[in-house]
Amino acid sequence: MASCFFLTNIATLNAQQDYRNSSQITSALKTLASQHGSKATLKSLTKTEGGNDIWSLTLSNGQPDSNPAIAIVGGVDGGHLLGVELSVQLAENILTNHADILERTTFYIFPNMSPDATAQYFKTLKYERHGNAVNTDDDRDGEKGEDGYEDLNGDNLITMIRVADPTGDYKMLEEDNRIMVKANTKKGEVGAYKLYTEGIDNDKDGRFNEDGEGGIAFNKNMSFNFPYFTKGSGEHPVSEKENRALLDFLYERWNLYSIFTFGPANNLSSPLKYNAQAANKRVVTSILKKDEMLNKFLSDRYNDITKTKDAPGSVAKGGNFFSWSYFHFGKLAMSTPGWWAPKPEADSLVKPSKNNKVNFLRWSEQQGMTDVFVDWKEINHPDFPNQKVEVGGMVPFKMTNPPYNKVSAIVESHAKFIAEISKLQPSIKLQNLKQEAIGNGITRITVDVHNTGLIPTHTEMGDRSRWLRQINVDIKLGNNQELISGRKHQLINTIAEDSSVQLTWLIKGKGSLNLTAGAPHTGTDNASINLK
Amino acid sequence: MKSYIYIILAVLFIIPLSAVSQTSEDIFRAVGTPHNPKVQIAFNKYYTSEGLAALGKKIADAHPNLVKRQSIGKSTKGRDIWMLAITDYSVGDADRKPAFYVDGNIHSNEIQGGEICTYTAWYLTEGYKDIDYVKNMLRDRIFYIVPTINPDARNDFMKEANTAHSPRAGLIALDDDSDGLFDEDGYDDLDGDGSITQMRRKNDNGNFILDPKDPRKMIQIGPDDIVTAQRYEFLGSEGIDNDGDGRINEDTYGYYDPNRDWGWKWQPDYVQRGAYKYPFSAPETRAVADFVKAHPNIAGAQSFHNSGGMILRGPGAEEDLATYNRADVRIYDAIGNKGAELLPGYRYLTVYKDLYSVFGGELDWFYGGRGIYTFTNEIFTNYAYYKKNGGGQDVRYNAERDLLLGDGFTMWKSFNHPTYGEVEIGGFKKNFGRATPGFLLEEECHRNMVFTFYHAYHMPNISVDKITKKSLGGGLTEVTAIIKNDRLMPTHASQDLKYKIERPDFISLSGGKVIAGMIVNNDDFNVTTEQKVNPEKLRINNISGNSTVKVRWIVKGGNNYKVTVDSAKGGLVSKSL
Repeated sequence: MASCFFLTNIATLNAQQDYRNSSQITSALKTLASQHGSKATLKSLTKTEGGNDIWSLTLSNGQPDSNPAIAIVGGVDGGHLLGVELSVQLAENILTNHADILERTTFYIFPNMSPDATAQYFKTLKYERHGNAVNTDDDRDGEKGEDGYEDLNGDNLITMIRVADPTGDYKMLEEDNRIMVKANTKKGEVGAYKLYTEGIDNDKDGRFNEDGEGGIAFNKNMSFNFPYFTKGSGEHPVSEKENRALLDFLYERWNLYSIFTFGPANNLSSPLKYNAQAANKRVVTSILKKDEMLNKFLSDRYNDITKTKDAPGSVAKGGNFFSWSYFHFGKLAMSTPGWWAPKPEADSLVKPSKNNKVNFLRWSEQQGMTDVFVDWKEINHPDFPNQKVEVGGMVPFKMTNPPYNKVSAIVESHAKFIAEISKLQPSIKLQNLKQEAIGNGITRITVDVHNTGLIPTHTEMGDRSRWLRQINVDIKLGNNQELISGRKHQLINTIAEDSSVQLTWLIKGKGSLNLTAGAPHTGTDNASINLK
Repeated sequence: MKSYIYIILAVLFIIPLSAVSQTSEDIFRAVGTPHNPKVQIAFNKYYTSEGLAALGKKIADAHPNLVKRQSIGKSTKGRDIWMLAITDYSVGDADRKPAFYVDGNIHSNEIQGGEICTYTAWYLTEGYKDIDYVKNMLRDRIFYIVPTINPDARNDFMKEANTAHSPRAGLIALDDDSDGLFDEDGYDDLDGDGSITQMRRKNDNGNFILDPKDPRKMIQIGPDDIVTAQRYEFLGSEGIDNDGDGRINEDTYGYYDPNRDWGWKWQPDYVQRGAYKYPFSAPETRAVADFVKAHPNIAGAQSFHNSGGMILRGPGAEEDLATYNRADVRIYDAIGNKGAELLPGYRYLTVYKDLYSVFGGELDWFYGGRGIYTFTNEIFTNYAYYKKNGGGQDVRYNAERDLLLGDGFTMWKSFNHPTYGEVEIGGFKKNFGRATPGFLLEEECHRNMVFTFYHAYHMPNISVDKITKKSLGGGLTEVTAIIKNDRLMPTHASQDLKYKIERPDFISLSGGKVIAGMIVNNDDFNVTTEQKVNPEKLRINNISGNSTVKVRWIVKGGNNYKVTVDSAKGGLVSKSL
């Protein structure tokens, strides 16, 4: 029966031509959990307003709390379908190809934090949705959802409309006149078009599609640099069920040392930059100095292993999850979109453009992709009865999600990177344990508490956070032993990569005693010694 | 034996009977206080959470036409957080009236808010009959009163081993000492007096001696003092090393601070000590936030803390200075300065510069996040003992001896401590110093209540002042209406306008077909702003305090014109021509 299941799964995977919808993802997760026994457990953290489960898949050696852990979070942005696939397929890949790392690392995987929004890809009318199904008044005018998109050219896609109008600010880009850009009057350019998203101004307030289905976006609802009172942010940070459910789960996992996000932020292609002024304010908005160096080290590994380059700039807007995971949670925070369109092959005539859409269109043409742009086509628009109005533009989802047949290679390279992180993770070992008799039945015990990992036990930010435990060192005395010097229980704030802290005690008495050192996120080591 | 039983029966019957019979003829009204209330409450003592809940229920049961009682959520330990919604339910739509929100006791040990809120609810309901001010207030406004938003830890303060300063946190256990155990080393009431006081020990190198004139006091030794008396050292608050880690009382309640848990410019614990996981991560603050979000009619709010005699406004954090602009500060100042007059000994202050710079406070979310003018009062100050300022620490000792007759201090007694050996335990009891003494409590309640009434009075009060019409010929009529707000507060605070927190006010005309509608900016010079779409429902960003708005419609046909103003914070009013 089990093998039969397995075959079916492979068959579906092989047959898979496109991103999987919520019910397909759910069934893939259930299959994983049923195939891997105690190594993979699946739990729904909550249901969104739209009725979708927020899944949490735990991969471990059967005892999740016993090892340091990484959280992998996908679907932080509703337009990023790739993140959902990568999270699920990474889980499959780890269980199938890297199961040994579960002996040292636990994974908490949250494949899709925006299921209400990603669902829009699978509906008849497709647009990149970010918000959940909560009913919101995006333009704060007292009415909800009164001005959404309309598919004016009947292609089931929401693109753009351009209106020929001498008062408009936009013009066609010379390199590729399909692309509209703002006219730069300082360079002598003059606007000739108005540009709006596809739809009509239903509420006649002069703005287009500013209050549609809306909702609150997972990646705008976190507490760092929260964008108050903007579309999709929510009334206050962490107002949404899915945000709360995830955070409540993460705050209770003391073994968590890292959060790996698949989303628009990218600190792996190039590391975050330290800014002394921003780092030294009470409200810290720059990565701290030591963490910058750590980020650089991990970024080099990432570029090496995934063989990626030319990444577009990181997008980490107010309220985003990645920034929260570092600035407010203090964990080792990593984020990558996982994929971006490579720069098109250049030749002597055509140089890469400064415009990313131009590059994307050239690249997709070289790839033979024909479904990435909707050519401008004239329509009649009720709001512009006497003007030339055309519908067209980039097809939603295409620039952020690769063709599905490219996904498995991305999974492969990211699985290697994750396995590498697991090897580098902080790990506390008691080393060089020795005893010296100093006379009259008193012994000096010395030990090095060593972090054998190449990642520090605490990021510099994590050292400030109450959500990473300090390293506890305890000495448990045997019968008739007495502590003359040294502490029975002590804390070490942090131990850098491949570094150690030496501790000593003076003990009176004979027989065996025990030492333990560690924290849930670094692993705990223990040693016993027999006093002579 | 039998006669003994009779006495008990007599006592049981006579006391309630005398309470009932003590009605009109035996009582002379003290001015300003309901003298023959349906619900008798003593305001010279404090009530546990269950005590407050029972009083709230009595008030609600006795005044069904004025009070609706509702639980707005559950505490960490599952207690209801009770709210009394008080208004004249026979007039208007209760939840559309401008609302005033009051709560108390967010900090567990800061208990007076429970009694002030209960007194306010009692006064509104019992005063309704005789006092026109109260009657008018309940006709036009609704009060949402939550005596304790921290019922678990209120009880803990009263019933368990605590100092006057503990617990400040709620009862969610946290690991303060990073050892994987939660709240495992709190205080221990070693002398069994119900309070956590101080431990001291004789030590020839100590820095203190006993005051020869007052056995309660210790005197600190100065660098030039020549001391012949026995020296002492202080050993901190009463407790033992419960978890055997070599430290005493290092993982007590929490620690988190419910008043660092609010969703305006919230910051995590390493920036703002006391923050918990994320804004509204404590169930009690979440319950309040959910209630406030669901009641956009709340225009003014008040929370009660102790102590120090302060009327506080935001900003809490220096970094948030720009949020409070001049127009709103003017309104805060008018109300706050009145408060300083009504509350002798209290000072009107700004949190970030006069107290401390702090993120995530309740008053900041109410104002920054909801546009609600909000104060926090720090109840009680040493001024109250002798009705004067100054005197330093001696005031406390003198008042404890002369006014409270020694009821506020546990005299030093020796105790054999498991770690420290022979120590002495003693000090001020937990109900001294911050909590108002019984004989002053009713005054404290009344003065704070009238401050909230002044604040509530100045919430927007909207009316359709005047409607006029003029024929334009051709079947067209010009209808002009003047909308008036005759109180201090606008319908939208400037913070609200800046972010459009609350929707605009709607001014609508019915009774004819509206073909054009406009706001009249200047009638004399005919300056108007036309609303091209849906002119029958004009959208007005704000109706300022103590001002009017003039609007005009051009109407085809009809005659029974009716003007309706629909404002979230200003209420729903209409008038027909």
